[in-house]
Amino acid sequence: MKKLFSSVLLRKMLSAMVFCWPAMLFAQDELAPVSRTYAITNVNIVQAPGRKIDMGTVVMKDGLIVSVGKNVSIPADAIVIKADSMYVYAGFIDGLSRVGLNKPKDEERGQRPKDPGNPKPEEAGITPQNDVRVSLNPSEKSIEELRALGFTAAHVVPYGGMMPGNGSIILLGGKSADEMVLVNKSSFYSELSPARGVYPGTVMGVMAKYRELYRQAALSRAYENSYASNRAGIQRPATDRVIEALFPVVDKRQPVLFKAERVIDAQRVLTLQSDLGFSLMLAELKEGWDIVNKIKSTNAKVFLSLDLPEDKDKKDDKKKDDSKKEEGKKDEAKKEEPKKEEPKREEAPKTATAEEKAALEKRKAEFMAKYVGQAATFQKAGVKFGFSTLSAKSGNIQGNLRRMIEAGLPEDAALASLTTTPAEMLGLSDRLGSVDNGKIANLVISDKPYFNEKAKVRYVFVEGTMYKFEVKDSKESKDGKKGEGSKDSGVKAEGEWNISTETPNGIEQSKLTLKKEGNTISGTMSGGSINPAVGIDNAKLDGNSLTFNFTFNYGGSDITVEVAVKIEGDTFKGTSTVAEYGSFPTEGKRLPK
Amino acid sequence: MKKFIIIACLLIAVSGMAQQVERGTVLIKNGTVLTITQGVKENTDVLIKDGKISQIGKNLAAPAGAKVIDATGYHVMPGIIDAHSHLALDAVNEATTPVSAMVWEGDDLDPLDVGMYRAVAGGVTISHAMHGSANAIGGQCQTIKHRYGTVDPKVLMMEGAPRTIKFALGENPTRVHGNNGAGIVPNTRMGVEFVIRQAFSEGKEYMESWNKYNASKNQKGFRGAPPRYDLRMETIAAILRGEIIIHCHSYRADEIYMLLKVCKDFGIKRLVFQHVNEGFKVAPELAAQGAMASVFADWWAYKFEVYYSTAYNAAILTRNGVVTSINSDDAELTRHLYHEAAKTQKYGGLTDEEALSLITINPAKQLGIENRVGSLEPGKDGDVVIFKGHPLSVYAIPMYTVIDGVVKFDREKDADDQRLYVDPKQTIDITDAVFEETLSHDHDECMKNAEFLLNVKFADKNR
Repeated sequence: MKKLFSSVLLRKMLSAMVFCWPAMLFAQDELAPVSRTYAITNVNIVQAPGRKIDMGTVVMKDGLIVSVGKNVSIPADAIVIKADSMYVYAGFIDGLSRVGLNKPKDEERGQRPKDPGNPKPEEAGITPQNDVRVSLNPSEKSIEELRALGFTAAHVVPYGGMMPGNGSIILLGGKSADEMVLVNKSSFYSELSPARGVYPGTVMGVMAKYRELYRQAALSRAYENSYASNRAGIQRPATDRVIEALFPVVDKRQPVLFKAERVIDAQRVLTLQSDLGFSLMLAELKEGWDIVNKIKSTNAKVFLSLDLPEDKDKKDDKKKDDSKKEEGKKDEAKKEEPKKEEPKREEAPKTATAEEKAALEKRKAEFMAKYVGQAATFQKAGVKFGFSTLSAKSGNIQGNLRRMIEAGLPEDAALASLTTTPAEMLGLSDRLGSVDNGKIANLVISDKPYFNEKAKVRYVFVEGTMYKFEVKDSKESKDGKKGEGSKDSGVKAEGEWNISTETPNGIEQSKLTLKKEGNTISGTMSGGSINPAVGIDNAKLDGNSLTFNFTFNYGGSDITVEVAVKIEGDTFKGTSTVAEYGSFPTEGKRLPK
Repeated sequence: MKKFIIIACLLIAVSGMAQQVERGTVLIKNGTVLTITQGVKENTDVLIKDGKISQIGKNLAAPAGAKVIDATGYHVMPGIIDAHSHLALDAVNEATTPVSAMVWEGDDLDPLDVGMYRAVAGGVTISHAMHGSANAIGGQCQTIKHRYGTVDPKVLMMEGAPRTIKFALGENPTRVHGNNGAGIVPNTRMGVEFVIRQAFSEGKEYMESWNKYNASKNQKGFRGAPPRYDLRMETIAAILRGEIIIHCHSYRADEIYMLLKVCKDFGIKRLVFQHVNEGFKVAPELAAQGAMASVFADWWAYKFEVYYSTAYNAAILTRNGVVTSINSDDAELTRHLYHEAAKTQKYGGLTDEEALSLITINPAKQLGIENRVGSLEPGKDGDVVIFKGHPLSVYAIPMYTVIDGVVKFDREKDADDQRLYVDPKQTIDITDAVFEETLSHDHDECMKNAEFLLNVKFADKNR
């Protein structure tokens, strides 16, 4: 009786609290929310691709979805979110990434190993017994970044060489590594990555070693079974942590999740699969358009990469367009000028070199279209696929999805590849992938349909825990910030800076020159590997946080570096990030005038 | 049920084998046909039907749908075969161990390598994609057809070609393994012999232990453990059983003689020496044991052990009855192997047929594919190159190259950009591209992926 009384009282108190503080919303590290019951009202519910409810309600309780529909009664203890005319989807599932993992420090290249032909398994990148939970860090920044895009679950794998270890499916929220794990040892992760300076030091070495280990495991497994049936009188099977880790694969209880970015990687993996017969998930595929049918015939599960080659020309065009627009606004008279310039460009003299260049550019564009159109190609061929983010920059993911859709991938198919299909491929359809009663409360809510260019993610729920994202209205924030922000903060960015970055190749010294005109910051980077000097883009000063990026040519390829530093007087500290390579500590010192 | 499984397995095996190899039908009209094995036939037609030569004769009728090439005034010869190449490979050396018999170049073929198209433009239809010479016993190689245009590495592999493996003697394996202070055998030439003999002995033991296990496995009540599966030893055992042809990088006569003895001791018969610059000194011994030789026309002095050489090497070997071929070991040289073959007429006075055999039927014999290619005969593969001018003339120009009855090179339709895949992020700098190309012409790839193991700075020539 007492129990009943107290729970009723508690509920009353809770609803009172909700009533009093309707805007009381909690982020992860703050106080725990007063209730684990939420009701999202007046929202467009996309339960799954093709299943929609206009202006309905979704109720979650204790981490599960408890009711979805139009005439849903809202529990008294529910925190109500008036998501008027917003859109709610099932949280997205990432097929392969290392989100939330502490990156191991690059081991220093020591002496040449004594016997490079017979390294320890660990030196050879063979650690299939590893458990991803060991290096999973719930407060890792990448979790937040991916979650802010609407991802709520990810298939994460350890760092390593050819057999890095067991992958796990994690939820992108939780206080400890163990709490985050939804399915442990969900896959046997593999790469075609050679070891450094020891066997297997080449792709063919990796292929050979893979075959050998697999066949050794198959033989050991058979002997182990026969031994288990009658142990007396025969030698005990040898114990071997590597071989034992392969048993679930040999038994076909655990699928192999293989990273294969290039068309040739994918085919090598398919060769291994057909030679050895394991069940296969191909992930992070980027160049699959020519082998769709080959993949289809193997029944391998596929995760296409959400990384796409950056379309620099398009970006530049956009910038030009934008600047033209602004110019136009400022000065109507100048409007004519760009028009005059355009025909000039077309009439450029057609030298042999120019023609050759044009032909090469045309082929580049043709291939750009293939990369961007890969997902549409798979969809048209009737091959189901999920997406993976392993090498994708989180800042590009939404844009890349839109580029795929522009290239012919239907929006419903894109949504399926983020939700229902990966759930099915990973055996999670009963728990994830759609907005249905009984499923884990993983949701993403955006203010416009998710694939709309202007769509912003407003709320993400991971197992019923809410993450809210404030949307800055660009005009308001500009006006608002003028008063308190950069101008009055007293932070001075302009001037010349000596900048040093710790890269894996040693410390990189360069020079940064910043100028400020009005509220716009521009500048150049030079020195070190950056030769000739290059301009910086997207420079922003917010309080004492300075961010910008620049692109320079290194050894024939363009490298884009994103710099984020905090200025303290005449020094700054922060990071330089190069996609796929990671972030490196950066420091700056102002040069005296 | 068991029957059903077997049938299912067979079906899978067959469908697995039947990679989409394109086979075509072509009628080559009225050319001077250099058959290699059956003389020269003037004003003769060659009909290739569904990828195979079906008829050689006069006034042949074109089957429906056949492509017809007018070869009037042209020379028609079998596709050129390069017995030593590193084209279409990602990695060349698994240089981490002196015996890398477990690795196989078939695993890292790169069908996107545009070098293959360039070779086809020089009439080369087949090459031997070899492991490098960093190890005493290197990796297994793969005979490939230049079916450029596919992205499927399996389509490149010549179906039915015997397995081959690379061995290496002398400076390369001693430099990579022993000579850098790590104390790994081989450090000397005798060390190389030891490594090979040891591997053969271990392979023999390995084979015997498995034979013993397999024999007792099916006996009632047997419950023993299988021997440890070892891919390296599996390959060595296959060499001992005669299933794999050895292709051995070699220069000095003493070493060549050494390997002849080692192979004799272990009963190994299928042996081809590569480079063999001092082969002329041991030509009778090579011929007596049936060992073959694949040489350069006139290339030497790129390292100490390659100074004692002569451009007469191919002629001397040929006249001593050694099956000899001329190879390129180089992405550029392979484009004019017909010039290389012609050099043996200046140095040694070989006949047209002998000289052309050096780049056709003889390399085919060395790769164990002479019943399929290497000459123009009905029943053989439709691999043909058509020259304007005699192929041994300095003015020879390849006009068409046909592989499996499919025209893979047509001089008239030779587009500028033949790359299969293009990097959309690549910066285009035409001047630089040309510059790099010229620079790289002087490099071979025999020691690719092994450079990092050398103390000595990597010299220009490391053949």
